[in-house]
Amino acid sequence: MGRREYVSDGLRLDGRRPKELRNMRAQIGVLQSADGSAMFQMGNTQVLASVFGPREVEQRSQLQHDRAIVKCEYAMAAFSTGERRRRGKTDRRSTELSLVIRNTLEQTIQLEEYARSQIDVYVQVLQADGGTRCACINAAMLALADAGIKLRDVIASCAAGYLQGTPLLDLNHEEDRAGGPDISVAYQPGLGKIVALQMDGRLPTEAFDECVQLAIEGCKAMAGVMRKELLRHTRALMAAGEDAGGGGGGGGGAALR
Amino acid sequence: MPPGADGAEPAGAAALVGRVAAPGDEVLLLPPGGRVAIGSSGLRPSGGAIVATKSGVVRRTRGGQLWIEGRQKRYIPAEGDCVVGVVVDRMSEHFTVDIAGPFKAVLPMLSFENATKRNRPAIYEGDAVFARVAQAHPDMDPVLTCVDGQGRASNYGHLKGGHTFECSCAWARALLEQPPPAVVAALGAEVPFEMAVGLNGRVWIDAPSAALAVRAAGALRAAEEELGPGGDAGAFVKRALAGGGAGG
Repeated sequence: MGRREYVSDGLRLDGRRPKELRNMRAQIGVLQSADGSAMFQMGNTQVLASVFGPREVEQRSQLQHDRAIVKCEYAMAAFSTGERRRRGKTDRRSTELSLVIRNTLEQTIQLEEYARSQIDVYVQVLQADGGTRCACINAAMLALADAGIKLRDVIASCAAGYLQGTPLLDLNHEEDRAGGPDISVAYQPGLGKIVALQMDGRLPTEAFDECVQLAIEGCKAMAGVMRKELLRHTRALMAAGEDAGGGGGGGGGAALR
Repeated sequence: MPPGADGAEPAGAAALVGRVAAPGDEVLLLPPGGRVAIGSSGLRPSGGAIVATKSGVVRRTRGGQLWIEGRQKRYIPAEGDCVVGVVVDRMSEHFTVDIAGPFKAVLPMLSFENATKRNRPAIYEGDAVFARVAQAHPDMDPVLTCVDGQGRASNYGHLKGGHTFECSCAWARALLEQPPPAVVAALGAEVPFEMAVGLNGRVWIDAPSAALAVRAAGALRAAEEELGPGGDAGAFVKRALAGGGAGG
């Protein structure tokens, strides 16, 4: 197989610049039955997250007296990739990703506020085009916020890679497959903390620093988008409630589902 | 996100009361002296500021406590809340009551007016009760009571007959506001009804006939989402009641 050019004339395969994110779209409160739900899209990657809880723990032996337990289930739809494949929820990749998402969320939920209870997070990948673990963390975070679970800060997650001597932000599937190093970062912008960092592949220290910095900048931009959507959603809901309440003031034209 | 970073919040120490906040937003910079009271919900002190932990609107009680009003679906019990619960189990000393929260609540048999060890309330599994949350300690199951401070029933107790429906906690809170939403008065003009609103997002409603109660409940529940901004509550209620009648 011949060498592909991943960056030519400062543009990547999908026409982005090296430090450009894909188009993002977030929708909150998409499911009726869940306590909180969100859909998150990054380019062609699309993830649906739903949150149930806090509720009573299912298995008595797992009950924690001083904090809540978080359970996370990651699943990929059979139609999510180019090649149709049925995947179990228990294969190694899913198990690992569930763990990563759970650990990340545990850092931001105020677990001690919900002692003895359990919070369930279900993430379903509908379309996979690289960066699914980051999209999953973002979707789960929005769903948690929708459920009204107390959070220390918002969490945003973003990946960066390094191909042909260029740090690239938010790799898509094609770039992911090139086999270069890939760094996923989850970041709390308000507290300025890195919550999760994963890298596969090797990288010189200087390039590593550069990539992490790039990923953090990506996280900040993403957090901005997510926060804006959260505020918009909350405002629409509050307006709807107040209007139905008969106050009738404002008349801001709340568009409802 | 630090305050003022996106230009939405005032960079000064001014409170954001009445404004929308997302988790992690700084709501109030702590003044060097004086006291700031925060309620039980949605805010926490962090460094030199008070930070939101939920998304919602910042509110202030008459007592000056700050809290965040979100529109969450799940109810988290708080002391003093009036709730509508469903009895799921009758034990020798207490009832176990489902109040749609993370845990089942405990309602002691003696927490009723005139109840004694001999004279137990005639309430059984599946019955609805209107109660007040007496204890909501995070380390224990919530405890309910059906009497006020003087030991009087004061409207608490067994909800006989009627129909119970679920709505969001925020809509239940809105139904309890003074004056109540226009839809309540409009419904009252059409149907004589009795209502018990639980802050846990459960509303019990009773009307002269079961069919009317169900239709009135449908109208009240639909009003949360369907009664548009400045909508005509009277016309809405007429339509909702008629629609229910045609279907049945």
